[in-house]
Amino acid sequence: MNRALRLTAGLAAAALALSACGGDGDDSTEPAAGGEDAGTPEPADLRLWLNGPDTPQSMRDWLVAEFEEQNPGSTLTIEEQQWEGLVDRLTTSLGSESETPDVVEVGNTQAPTFTTVGAFTDITDLVPELGGDDLLQGFVEAGSADGKTYAVPLYAGSSYIFYRKDLLAASGLDVPTNMQEFVDAAVKLKQDNASVPNFSGFWLPGQDWRDGAAFLWDAGGDFAVEEDGEWTGALSTPESQEGLQLVQRLFTEASGAPKDGNEADGHVPFCAGEVGMMLRPGWLRGSLEDPEIGCPDMMANVGVFALPGSDGEPAPVLLGGSNIAISATSQNQELAANLLELIMSDEFQSQYAENGLTPAKVSLASGLGTDEFAAATQEAVTNAKLTPAASNWATVEGSRILEDLFVAIANGGDVQQLAEEADAAIADQLG
Amino acid sequence: MRTRTRQRTFGVVAVVIALIWMFPVYWMLNSSFLPYNRIRAAEPTFLPLNGTVSAYGRVFDSNFFDTLRVSATVTGITVVAALLFAFLAALALSRFRFKGRRSFILAVLIIQMIPAEGLFISQFKLLEGWQLLNSVIGLSLLYIAAVVPFTIWMLRGFVNGVPRDLEEAALVDGCSRLQAFFRITLPLLAPGLVASGVYAFLQAWNEFTLSLVIMTRPENMTLPLWLRSFTESNRISDWAGIMAGSVLVAVPVMIFFLLVQHRMTSGLVSGAVKG
Amino acid sequence: MPPSPTSSASSRAEERAGRDQGPGRPTPPTTWTGRGPAGDVAPRRPRRPRRSPLPYALLVPALAVLVAALGYPLYRQAVMSFQEYGLAQQFGQPPEWVGLDNYVTLVTDSYLWTVIARSIVFCVANAAITMVAGTALAVLMTLVGRGPRLTLQIGLLLAWAMPHLASLTVWQWLFDSQYGVINWLLVNLGLDQFAGHSWLIDQLSFFTVATVIVVWMSVPFVAFSVYAGLTQVPGELYEAAEIDGSTAWQRFRQITVPLVKPVLLIVALLQIIWDLKVFTQIFVLQDAGGITAETNLIGTYIYRLGLGEGEFGLAAAASWFVLLLTVALSLYYVRVLVREEEL
Repeated sequence: MNRALRLTAGLAAAALALSACGGDGDDSTEPAAGGEDAGTPEPADLRLWLNGPDTPQSMRDWLVAEFEEQNPGSTLTIEEQQWEGLVDRLTTSLGSESETPDVVEVGNTQAPTFTTVGAFTDITDLVPELGGDDLLQGFVEAGSADGKTYAVPLYAGSSYIFYRKDLLAASGLDVPTNMQEFVDAAVKLKQDNASVPNFSGFWLPGQDWRDGAAFLWDAGGDFAVEEDGEWTGALSTPESQEGLQLVQRLFTEASGAPKDGNEADGHVPFCAGEVGMMLRPGWLRGSLEDPEIGCPDMMANVGVFALPGSDGEPAPVLLGGSNIAISATSQNQELAANLLELIMSDEFQSQYAENGLTPAKVSLASGLGTDEFAAATQEAVTNAKLTPAASNWATVEGSRILEDLFVAIANGGDVQQLAEEADAAIADQLG
Repeated sequence: MRTRTRQRTFGVVAVVIALIWMFPVYWMLNSSFLPYNRIRAAEPTFLPLNGTVSAYGRVFDSNFFDTLRVSATVTGITVVAALLFAFLAALALSRFRFKGRRSFILAVLIIQMIPAEGLFISQFKLLEGWQLLNSVIGLSLLYIAAVVPFTIWMLRGFVNGVPRDLEEAALVDGCSRLQAFFRITLPLLAPGLVASGVYAFLQAWNEFTLSLVIMTRPENMTLPLWLRSFTESNRISDWAGIMAGSVLVAVPVMIFFLLVQHRMTSGLVSGAVKG
Repeated sequence: MPPSPTSSASSRAEERAGRDQGPGRPTPPTTWTGRGPAGDVAPRRPRRPRRSPLPYALLVPALAVLVAALGYPLYRQAVMSFQEYGLAQQFGQPPEWVGLDNYVTLVTDSYLWTVIARSIVFCVANAAITMVAGTALAVLMTLVGRGPRLTLQIGLLLAWAMPHLASLTVWQWLFDSQYGVINWLLVNLGLDQFAGHSWLIDQLSFFTVATVIVVWMSVPFVAFSVYAGLTQVPGELYEAAEIDGSTAWQRFRQITVPLVKPVLLIVALLQIIWDLKVFTQIFVLQDAGGITAETNLIGTYIYRLGLGEGEFGLAAAASWFVLLLTVALSLYYVRVLVREEEL
C-alpha cells in the first residue's frame, strides 16, 4: 500500500486486513443498457461504489447480471474507488443529488463519521432482511447511531501469524499455544539468529499499534473506555500497562524492524530472511507467493497460526473490514434497497468466503474452506475486536497519537508516563 | 580563450548537477523495469538488468489513453486561457496607470497566500450549482484561477521589459500594430510565457485533490487519479506499475517542454531577427 | 551528455552574434524596467489618458475567472469560520453561529504556537536555500553552451514533472532505514553506524530530509523563472563590465540582481508562501517514520486538527489565521515589493 495514503487508508486500514484472494483491480464494469419495460419501482441507472480490490471481478459481474435481471430496465454501474481520498470524495459527492452514488462501501472506522451526520439512509427496518442477528455485530454497531442503523457489514478480516517453520525447528521450538510461549519463542528466535542483520523473532515496526493492539487487549487493557457516556483514554490502567510493557519487551527483545517504521511491506524483510514470525493480514500469502513481489521458494517453510492469547484461546486481534450503506440523497431509494439486499444475500456473501474474506454473516464463515490458512482466518476472527466505538475515534487515528505512543515505547521510553500523556491526548480528541 | 575554458568548466558543472538532480527520476525509471522484490531488497539494483517491461504492459492496458485525453484537454485549456488572460492583464498593469491598479496587484498577491486546503468543499458546491461537476470546463476554471495570479505577476515583469521604443520603431518602419506585436513584443515575452506556461502546465497536469472530488465518474478520470489506482490494485501497491505510469505521465510534459524550450533561450534576439 | 567543445562554442557564438545584431537595442537597463541598475525610480509616463476604459477591459477575463472560481468559495470560507460547521452541516443541518469560537480554539492552543515557530524556521530556511540554489542554477544556465544548458533544464524539468506520488515514494525508498540506497552507500563507504540508521526519528534529521526533498522539488520552478528573467538581461552589459575589470560577483550584484529583481521578488514571495504551507512532503514523511508531534508543521497540524474528519469551520478559521500570519510575515517584504514596483 502506498505510504502517501496512510491517513485515509489508515482510517480504513482495517478494511485491508483481509484474506488472500486473487481479485484484480479493474475499473467498473459497464453493463449493457437494459430494456425499456417499466417495473416497480421506476427503472434507473444505479451507481455502486466499491473500494479497492477486495471484491473481485467475478463477484462484480455476478452482481450486475443478477441486479439487472431482478430489476428489469434498471442498470448497475460499479465504480471502483481508492481508499485514499475516499473521505473527501464522500464528503462532497454524497451531498449532491446529481452526483451521489446510490450505494457506497466505507471502511468500518469511517462508518461512524458518516452515520451521525445524516449522509446515509436509515435502514433499521431493513436489517432483519439483510441478516439481522447473523450479521457481524461490531460492524452493525459501527454503522448505527442513536438506536438507528445506517450501514451494515460488507466483509471483514483479521490478521494471523505467518512464521518460518525451518527457523522454529532450528531453535527447537513448537508452534506456541499461549501468549507466554509466543513471547518466549519470539525472543529466542532473535537470540538464535543474532548474526542476521535486522532479524526479528517477531516483526513489529514502531508505528504498528494496529497489530500491537492484540497484546494490549490480551492483557485486558484498551485504548479508550466509555463511562457514563464519556470516552476517556484507558492506556494508563494497570491492565493496559501490562500489555504495553509486553509490547515494549517485544520491541526491544524480539523485533528488528525499524523503531519508527510502519507496517506496510512486511513481505520485504520476510523474504529477505529477516523475520521469524509476523502478525499480518491473510492476503500477505498472495504477496509471498507472487514471483514478482514475494518469494515463492520460501513458501514450503511458511506456516500460519492464529496468535494465541494468555488463556490459550486466540488473542483478540484488530478486526478490519467494510460497511455498506445507501446514500441519503440518492434518487433511487427503493432500487438501492433492492441492491443492498442482493449484496447481503447468501449467494453474494458466500462468494466473499470463497475468496478468503470473512463474510458479513457469521453463518457463512464455514465457506472459507478447511486449509491451514482458512483455519487461521476463522480462528483469528472468533476473538477479534474493533477499535473503540467512539463517534470521533477517527480523529484519534488522524492525529496519530497512537503511532507516536508506540514509536516512543519502541525507543525505550517510560511506558507509564507515555501512556498518561496519550490518555490525555485521546481524551482531548474524544471529548 | 579564457572564456571558453570557463564555459567548458561551467558546462561540466551544469551536467553534473543535472545528473544529481535527475537521480530520483532515474530511480523511478529503474524501478519501472524491476519486479517489486528487486526494487526493495537488501542489495539495491542500480541497473535494471534482466528487468521486465511487463509493468508498462499492465498500465497501458488500463484505459491510459482515455485518461490522457481528459488530462490533456484540461491542461491545454488551463495553459492557453491562463496565459492569454494573464497576458491581457499584464498589458493593462504595465502599460497603463488607472484607478484600482494598485488594489488589483495587491489582491493578486494576497490570493497567492490563501491556504487552499479546505477550499475544495466550497468549490465543489460552486460547480454543483452551475452543473459543472464532472466537466472539463468546471475543473479547468478552478485550475485557471489557481495559476493566473502568478502568471500575471510573471508576465507583467516581461511586458515591463519590452522597450516601448522598439515597438514604436517598428511602427515607424511600416509594420502594423499587429505585426509589431507579433514580430517584436511576443518574441520578447516568449521566455516569460514559456516559464509561466510550464508552471501552469505542471500545476494542472499533476493536481490531485480537486480532480478527485470534481471528476468522480470513471470516464472523467485525470492522470493523477489514474496513477493512484495502482496503489491498491492488488492490496500490495503495484510499485513497478506506479513508476511505469509515472514515466508515461511525465513524457507529455517533456514533449511540451522540448517544443517550447527554444523560445526560452534568448527572447529579443532570435525571435526578432528571424521574425 | 556534454557536447563537443566546438559545437558548444559555435552555438554560443551564434547566440552572441544574434544578440549583438539585435535591432537597435536601446541602452537597456533604463528602459528595460524603467529604472537604472541602481534601482532609482524613474516612473514611466502613462501613454493613455487616465480615463481610458481599455485597461479595465484587459483585466476583465482574469478578474472574471478569479471572481468566478474563488469569490464564492472564499466568501463561504469566511462565513464558515464563524460557524460550527462540520460534516452534519455539509449534509444539510443548519450551521450554528459561534462567533469567534473557532479562532479562540486556535489561538489558545499552545501547541499551535510551537508549530508556528517551527514552521517559520523551516519556511525561512527552505525558501532561502531554494532561492539561492535556484538563482545559482539560472545564472549557470546563462554561462554554459546550449548542450549543457539543455541537459540542466531537462534534468530540472524532469524533477519538476515527476508525479508527486512517484517522487515522494522514491525519496522514501532512498532514505529507508533498512533497504535505503543512502544507508547502503554509506555503509559501503565504511560508515557502519549507518546500517539501519533512521533518518526520520530525530527531529533535526527529519527536517533535514524534508528540506532536501522540498528544495529538490522547488528549485526547478525558481531556476526556470529566474532564467527566463535573465534572458532579458543584455549581454553587452556584462561585457562592458568585464572590460571595466569588475569581478563576477560584482557583476552579479550590480547588473544581474537589479535587472531580474521583479522576478526574484515574486518568486521568493511564492517560496515563502508555499514553504509556510508545506503539507504533502511532511505528511508522507511522518507516515514513513519519525514522531508526529515533533514534526508537525502548520499544514499537517491543521489537517490533523480535523479537516480530514470534516471540521470545516475550524479548518476555515485556521485558513484565515494562516493567511493573516503570512501577510504579517511578508508585510515588510510586500512593502518593498510594492515600492520597487512603483505601484
